[in-house]
Amino acid sequence: MKFTIEHLAKGFEQKEVLKDIDFTFEDGKIYGLLGRNGAGKTTLFNCLNRDIKADRGNFYIEENGQRRKVKADDIGYVLSTPTVPEFLTGREFLKFFIDINESAITDKKSIDEYFDYMSIAPKDRDKLLKDYSHGMKNKMQMLVNVIAKPNILLLDEPLTSLDVVVAEEMKQMLRTLKDDCIIIFSTHILDLALDLCDDIVLLSHGELELVEKVNLDNKDFKDKIIETLREDGNE
Amino acid sequence: MNKTLKISFALKNTYRVNSILYALKQTLLIKMILPSALYGVKGLKIFANILSVIWEVISFFLGKLIYLGCIYFIIADGYNGFFPRRELFLHMLLFLTIIGAFLNTNLFNPSKEKYYAVFLMRMDAKQYVLVNYGYAVLKVIIGFLLIMLMMRSLLDLPVWLCVMLPFSIAGLKLFVAATSLWDYEKRGFSYNENKLGKFLWAFVALMIILAGGLPAVGLAVPQIVSTSLFIAFVPLGLIGVLKVIRFNEYKAVFKDLFAQTQPFEDKKTQALRKQSEKYISADTSITSNRKGFEYLNELFIKRHKNILWSASKNIAYACVVLSVGMIIASYLFPEIKENVNHLILNWLPYFVFIMYIINRGTGFTQALFINCDHSLLTYPFYKQPGMILKLFAVRLREIMKINALPAAVIGTGMSLLLFVTGGTDNVLNYAVIIVSILCMSAFFSVHYLTIYYLMQPYNAASEIKSGTYQLVKVATYLVCYYMIQVRMPTIVFGTLTIVFCILYCIVACVLVYRLAPKTFRLRQ
Repeated sequence: MKFTIEHLAKGFEQKEVLKDIDFTFEDGKIYGLLGRNGAGKTTLFNCLNRDIKADRGNFYIEENGQRRKVKADDIGYVLSTPTVPEFLTGREFLKFFIDINESAITDKKSIDEYFDYMSIAPKDRDKLLKDYSHGMKNKMQMLVNVIAKPNILLLDEPLTSLDVVVAEEMKQMLRTLKDDCIIIFSTHILDLALDLCDDIVLLSHGELELVEKVNLDNKDFKDKIIETLREDGNE
Repeated sequence: MNKTLKISFALKNTYRVNSILYALKQTLLIKMILPSALYGVKGLKIFANILSVIWEVISFFLGKLIYLGCIYFIIADGYNGFFPRRELFLHMLLFLTIIGAFLNTNLFNPSKEKYYAVFLMRMDAKQYVLVNYGYAVLKVIIGFLLIMLMMRSLLDLPVWLCVMLPFSIAGLKLFVAATSLWDYEKRGFSYNENKLGKFLWAFVALMIILAGGLPAVGLAVPQIVSTSLFIAFVPLGLIGVLKVIRFNEYKAVFKDLFAQTQPFEDKKTQALRKQSEKYISADTSITSNRKGFEYLNELFIKRHKNILWSASKNIAYACVVLSVGMIIASYLFPEIKENVNHLILNWLPYFVFIMYIINRGTGFTQALFINCDHSLLTYPFYKQPGMILKLFAVRLREIMKINALPAAVIGTGMSLLLFVTGGTDNVLNYAVIIVSILCMSAFFSVHYLTIYYLMQPYNAASEIKSGTYQLVKVATYLVCYYMIQVRMPTIVFGTLTIVFCILYCIVACVLVYRLAPKTFRLRQ
């Protein structure tokens, strides 16, 4: 499976944030999306998730040589601040989600199996989500995004505010998920990107650009990334 | 001192100018022609500056004019004839001045300007207070002086009183401020005019009752007493001035003040969200046997029963009591029957405003957004057209039920009342009253849910970000308010209402089905 974005552009009034996004992502990989503050990472995600309308361009999925439009359930989007419906319990949220997405879920498991998978303790499963901690809300958000196995998973700074144990659990989970899906992981932490991601993509000058690692050790690779990003800021 | 004066005025002015520009930018039509970097455009800035200066000048007088004007209308209209006008005016002014000294202090108002100046810009707190508070007190004196002299003959005041009263009002304010400062020195706790304790609220209520209630039962503070008190406020004010000048702990006072209340919107919306979360019932026995959106909706309604249903039920109870009371009254005092009968047959338009007031539309959509859609709208599955429309239908049914309860009670009550007060030649009237009031309630249900779905005014921080949405709300209010003036036979107005409401509901639902899949998004 491939996910191709063609000439995507989005501006706000006079400022063109995304100029010409032209890139193909492939499954089995985690892509680290890096960019300076204000480079347009969230705008790109919002366009792909159809929260805002792009000015130009389109994106599609290619499966077995066949192109098709991206449907809403192709995409999972995990935000840095977890948003979960506070008035439901963890169990109720999962039940609701599974009810709604019944047709899209291929290997349905029991709700408790899902909780086990995310290491959410039995005592917490029937609590209202408003009483969940930040990390637990984050896990819930991640969970409903992976249950339906979306083809594309967009992650906007998802690990930044998690404690080390949860962050490690999440990283492990993402590594197991990547086989059948494309994960695009936006972050400001370079070391995290290098540790977790297979490819590094830079968003600079409103365009996406793959950073080739060929023959570079980690330090040189890091320097190269920072140098490229610095040029972007000096414009 | 001079510098403090300049800086703090420049700060306040910049803040106000940018607010004006921001407000302009939020308006639908103007938004399109304004450049994005409008805060730097010179012409616009000058324009906003002029508005800002005009506003500053108006603010000297406008509030006082409205305030004294209101007192005048109350004494001229309400209690005319019982007392000499001057006595009544001084009576009211006395109690209202006491309330104002506590509720409108300026010094103890946790305003944004104060926070910016003292904490962000690190201005000297004492200098800031002396300049700004001094200016505020001066505004009180000059504003009242001018307006009182202007209204002298209306209020029947001698010139010396017109000159003295502004100083008395400012004097009491200063004295109350000074006592609050003393209190701070003693207890280390700052007075906050936006956060009154139970006792102060009770005190304010008592003052209001004394101001308005005493004259109603034929009592008023004798003129000699009120005048003497006003004279006494002047030297008290001097004591206040001394304390305000000598006090040195303003920064600490403000620190405490801002620890109690947050002046910023994002903090306020956080507080709003906290508040909304509190409405979620923690009752673990609440469950649902349904599936999908019906499941979500049922749990939402059950867990929010308190905010959604309690107001509606209370209004319904009150209407039952009122209707029964009116029916009993019309038996006890048969002479009112004719009037009541006439009212019911001609005053139906008035009920548009009443239904507007009691409908729960905005409360419902706010709870929906903050506790439910705010989070779920970030999930792609929730935004699929079919899902949005399914949930819209479920929700419309719920809000209609909530609003229909009081409407049914009011409609039935009015029909019964019409019957016992002599009935009507046209039997259709009974049905028209009940159906048209139910239609009005349905109209408001559809209206608020529709504008919520079509404009989705909130952003991710739960702030309302749509100027158009606000405009529609104001327009709704104005139209409903205008209906108060309309007099039309009930049968005519009722039939028109029914037809209008049905048409509106059809159009609104068609619009939602066409557009909501595109418009029902989180605002970015």
